[in-house]
Amino acid sequence: MGQSLANNKGNLLSKLNRFKMFYLLMLPGFLFLIVFRYVPMLGLRYAFYDFDLRGLGDFIGFSHFRDAFTSDNFIRAFKNTLILSSLNIVIQMTLIVSISLLLNEIKNQFFKKVVQTVIYLPHFLSWVVVGAVFNLLLSRQGGLVNEVVTTFGGEAKHFLGDQSLWRQTFLFILSWREIGWGTVIFLAALSGIDPQLYEAAKMDGANRWKQMVHITFPHLIPTIIIVLIMNLAKIFNLFESVFVLYNPLVYKVSDVIQTYTYRTGVTEFRFGYGTAVGLTRSVIAFVLVMGTNQIVKRLRGESVL
Amino acid sequence: MLHRDSASYTTFKVLNTLFMCLIIVTVMIPLLKIIIDSFDGKASETVFRFFPESFTLDAYKVIISRPVIFRPLIISVVVTIIGSAVAMTITSLYAYGLSKKDLPGRKFFMGIALVTMVFRAGMIPLFLVVNQLGLLNTIFPIFLVHAMDAYYLILLKNFFEGIPSSIFDAAEIDGCTPFQTFVRVVLPLSKPGLAAIGLFYIVFFWNQFFDYILYIQTKPHLHNFQVFLRSLVIETDTQGFEGFSFATQSLKNAAITVSIIPVLILYPFVQKHFVKGINLGGVKG
Repeated sequence: MGQSLANNKGNLLSKLNRFKMFYLLMLPGFLFLIVFRYVPMLGLRYAFYDFDLRGLGDFIGFSHFRDAFTSDNFIRAFKNTLILSSLNIVIQMTLIVSISLLLNEIKNQFFKKVVQTVIYLPHFLSWVVVGAVFNLLLSRQGGLVNEVVTTFGGEAKHFLGDQSLWRQTFLFILSWREIGWGTVIFLAALSGIDPQLYEAAKMDGANRWKQMVHITFPHLIPTIIIVLIMNLAKIFNLFESVFVLYNPLVYKVSDVIQTYTYRTGVTEFRFGYGTAVGLTRSVIAFVLVMGTNQIVKRLRGESVL
Repeated sequence: MLHRDSASYTTFKVLNTLFMCLIIVTVMIPLLKIIIDSFDGKASETVFRFFPESFTLDAYKVIISRPVIFRPLIISVVVTIIGSAVAMTITSLYAYGLSKKDLPGRKFFMGIALVTMVFRAGMIPLFLVVNQLGLLNTIFPIFLVHAMDAYYLILLKNFFEGIPSSIFDAAEIDGCTPFQTFVRVVLPLSKPGLAAIGLFYIVFFWNQFFDYILYIQTKPHLHNFQVFLRSLVIETDTQGFEGFSFATQSLKNAAITVSIIPVLILYPFVQKHFVKGINLGGVKG
């Protein structure tokens, strides 16, 4: 017994020795994770402290959280986050799946390639560029869109400065940038379906619609679940898109938790409060992802994460 | 094809093709409009034209000649090169270690990377760490804070795991150290994966803007082209641009175009790789 323990120890030591070079190569990545991902987690305690420009003050428990949930601005940002995120997920998932299915029906490979090449592109443009492009196109004086609207007898609109239009405009721009890229993973899943299944279905007299309902769609469900969970992880990640497309005129419908965190935490130096607000966001996103993962596990017997 | 398509299927095919054309137009018009107008001296009279009415390169000349515009451009280029080089090195080395199935502690090293995909401390705690390290108002946080993305790490790890182990054994017998094996065997065999992830990092660092605003508040001369672009087009106040009475439509369009160009140049080269890279990673991950 003692001998085998010593033996194990020796094994482990020689193993560690054999791999020491690998540990050395992994060191920069490891340090990165510790310094820029895990040390900040220690900073989460600031959410429970009085902490501003003067420095770290007293422990104040859940005060910041109470302040947040009684603040109209936070409640507004919270609501906007929920509204914009959920609309975005529903719209994007629907469009991405439909467009993937339609694109899959294109039999001309060259045309299909052209469409794919074009629709992936916007994903690679920065939010600043996307914001700049649409600010110019939607501008009230001389923007292309209003130019067209007025040509057909309409009235020029302030798309990004009008509370009743901002959400629609924002969701359109978000979709413009992301939908094409979203089809990549679905097209991969579609190309992986065994053609024999379609042959068999044809033999049984299934028309194209029935083939889609009974073969294509069921095969997409695992991918849909993976993408849904990945999107939930990003659900509250509306930062840069909102940041470049909002302005004080439309804070009421556009301010989200992250932009609110930035304004209170960094520009007003309320570090403790900002940490508390950010923590609320992280916890909700975490619970959503883990919850969905758990549900998927129950329903399908396997989890994604 | 022996059977003929039914009438309704033919109709569907025509409508489908038209729909795809509509999508192409919707995606391309905004970009084309901006690029075309950047060459147009009379761009302020905005009616859609496919070719500029009066062709001119004036706007681009302004960009190159004014330090206030040219400097952010150089910063963008330099930070993109250094940032992606650093990120690729750190990420691929860590992925190389993770791809060794019998590495002691492999699960732990994998786990601490995976956790960061679902939970992060958030903006303020990270900002305070950068501050405590004395990196505020320097260029370093721009590439240190994003030196390794867990998702790309997993993709690369999967790529490396796809290399047959007999090749590693052969390299070991030939007396290669793990680092030599990495440089001479792993990297050359993983070109599609490296190209894909490399492109993602390059685009990421080129497109960065918020981190500059967050971490470099008192030294605007360290800001990159995206930040400049944002203040030129989006922010209505034109403070700091008194240098030119020329913040015209075509200058804005030209600035946007300059910011898109690197992406447009890289895109066709790596497109085939990134789809393959993502698919391989996605199927196995």
